[in-house]
Amino acid sequence: MDIATLQAYGYFFLTAFLVVVLYGYIYHLYSAEKKGTRDYEKYGNIALHDDISDQPIEEISKTDEIKK
Amino acid sequence: MENRPLEYDYTVAKMFMLTTVVLGIVGMLVGVILAWELAFPAVNTIAGSGLAEYTNFSRLRPLHTDAVIFGFTVSGIFATWYYVGQRVLKVSMAESKFLMALGKLHFVLYILLVASVVGSLLLGITTSKEYAEFEWPIDIAVVVVWVIWGMQIFGLIGIRREKSLYISIWYYIATFLGVAMLYLFNNMEVPTYFVSGGIGAWYHSVSMYSGTNDALVQWWYGHNAVAFGFTVPIVAMIYYFLPKESGQAVYSYKLSLLAFWGLMFVYLWAGGHHLLFSTVPDWMQTMGSVFSVVLILPSWGSAINMLLTMKGEWQQVASSPLIKFMILASTFYMFSTLEGPIQAIKSVNALAHFTDWIVGHVHDGVLGWVAFMIMAALFHMAPRVFKREIYSKSLMNTQFWIQTLGVVLYFTSMWIAGITQGMMWRAHDEFGNLAYSFIDTVTVLHPYYTIRAVGGTLYLVGMFLFAYNMYKTMTSGRRVEESELQSASPMGA
Amino acid sequence: MFHWLEKNPFFFAVAVFVVIAFAGLIEILPNFAQASRPVIGTKPYTTLELAGRHVYIKNSCNACHSQLVRPFKSETDRYGHYSLSGEYAYDRPFLWGSKRTGPDLMRVGNYRTTDWHENHMKDPAAVVPGSIMPAYGWMFKNKADVDTAYAEQVTVNKVFKTPYNAELPMADGSKVKVALADSVEAARASALEEAKVIAADMKDQDVKDAVAKGEIPEIVALIAYLNSLK
Repeated sequence: MDIATLQAYGYFFLTAFLVVVLYGYIYHLYSAEKKGTRDYEKYGNIALHDDISDQPIEEISKTDEIKK
Repeated sequence: MENRPLEYDYTVAKMFMLTTVVLGIVGMLVGVILAWELAFPAVNTIAGSGLAEYTNFSRLRPLHTDAVIFGFTVSGIFATWYYVGQRVLKVSMAESKFLMALGKLHFVLYILLVASVVGSLLLGITTSKEYAEFEWPIDIAVVVVWVIWGMQIFGLIGIRREKSLYISIWYYIATFLGVAMLYLFNNMEVPTYFVSGGIGAWYHSVSMYSGTNDALVQWWYGHNAVAFGFTVPIVAMIYYFLPKESGQAVYSYKLSLLAFWGLMFVYLWAGGHHLLFSTVPDWMQTMGSVFSVVLILPSWGSAINMLLTMKGEWQQVASSPLIKFMILASTFYMFSTLEGPIQAIKSVNALAHFTDWIVGHVHDGVLGWVAFMIMAALFHMAPRVFKREIYSKSLMNTQFWIQTLGVVLYFTSMWIAGITQGMMWRAHDEFGNLAYSFIDTVTVLHPYYTIRAVGGTLYLVGMFLFAYNMYKTMTSGRRVEESELQSASPMGA
Repeated sequence: MFHWLEKNPFFFAVAVFVVIAFAGLIEILPNFAQASRPVIGTKPYTTLELAGRHVYIKNSCNACHSQLVRPFKSETDRYGHYSLSGEYAYDRPFLWGSKRTGPDLMRVGNYRTTDWHENHMKDPAAVVPGSIMPAYGWMFKNKADVDTAYAEQVTVNKVFKTPYNAELPMADGSKVKVALADSVEAARASALEEAKVIAADMKDQDVKDAVAKGEIPEIVALIAYLNSLK
């Protein structure tokens, strides 16, 4: 198993992995929206309603521990 | 809710806005001098032959690239971060004494760094590795300044109110991480002063890698300094400023998420296209070339997302010069990220490598996309930061058209020059001898070098108009209230 | 899974880092050792040649000149044999360059002489009509930094095992040894000896006087380096 074949395998599985991940991601984004579990487009409004006094699109409730 | 302070705090943003304008002018002025030096060599001794060492092409070229990358662009990244970061995370920097103090320290260290870079490069203290020319003491200072910025990003995220990170924040995080990783590996150097026990120049170092490896690490860094310096942070800016200025949410937030991960993965592979037909292993060259072509997809994903954001609002392009700047920036981004992959195709690269066509690609990207977007961002920020309307809309329009003409003159002349070089270098006569000596391919380019110099000068004139417009906005623009600042930026006549 | 990622900046950052680091791990790391093995006939630089290389770097000659001959007939006709990876084994940093405003210099030592370089560096347009290369008059006055060159020799020898004071095979079967002085004074002396050979072919009286006095102008070191590019 010389380095070249190792690289080839690395390259192949990596590409396969990422094709799956990226397509899984698109599918997740659209299916979540269709099923109504999450509307991703509302996050686009974070840029529009960005005054300090604006209501956050998604509140950080006290229970959530804010990740540093 | 606890009583929140009413205002975002833009003190640090304003500081970096200043360096963006100043270093932009300095970097581009040096670029224009270089352009005229190539067209008319007498310009090399513009300050007399006594100072020729410091005014000729050799010493100014690294100063030009580093001034516009680490001066203008990085200042623009920091300025926009200290503005966009607060607004999309809905937290004011004034709420954290630590972050405010750190921000000011960040600025002071950055200024010292810029001064030391200008000084060392003029003296010829360079490692020769493009866009990584600093010797090891300055490299360490760069790491410190960059880590401080990283602490700013994650510090502000830590005290945010908006739970989900807006797409721009993703891109700022990626900028920080990308450059950190790349810069560290490409600037691995061994200081000769210590190893040799105190002999020779104390600042001199030798690269950790040699020959083909050094070339590979350098251009893995070189291409991705372009990625994480000229693309990712500027995409972060346009994802905030175009929706905010046009009052339209981004066309598809889902597409922006997808394009982000695609860009992150693909960009890193493409460095090999700087080394086609060199002594780098063939399979790595092919991967660099293939992934450069694949790179079109995530790049255009973001760019088209921007253009579609204007759906139904295209009249704004006619009415607002600020929207003109951003839309043309996005278009130049598409243009440049199509031209790059074409040049990365092996057979095209065989013609284009080492020629001026590459310079044309670089500058339609940086002048058309990066600089336009940074100026648009600063113009949008000005009324919010100074609480005054932008001084003159007509001046901004004039600046837009002068600079657009400048960019077009620049890259068209460089295309012609580059392809002429490529064709002439490889031309054989009917007996199989080389048709042209090297100097033939230099003298024939004089008209194109002149057109390029004119284009660059026009762009520099635009930069002075930009600086003047910003200065007058800061000092004598009409005061505006919060209500006028909802989306489109208020502008004087 | 993705949504959780978008909410947690720390793990988001880790994910980004993994994705962007992947290319480097697969592409660069594995071939490191193999790509830098020297080819027969590759020699490390002498003290004077290295000082000249530093003058080359100090004036960003690589901004306009490349040192990489690609495997095309048009390039091998113009510049000589195409470059081999091993030829760059002792080049720290590499000087391939990314632009040919001026010609490739990979094998300039084969077809340019000391005298030609002297005239050309002093006034390029006089030697090559139409040249847009600036003149480098100050190289005839500035002194080369031989100490730093020696410090670099010691460093690469100690840290990277660059084979100084070792029998190196040449293409024609002979053996060559590149000496590494054991002290900076010895290094200065050997560099001066080399400089005298080059100055003998030069006409500029100031340079000849300087070398006679034991100083080495930058131009002499640069020419030594350019002549070594074969």
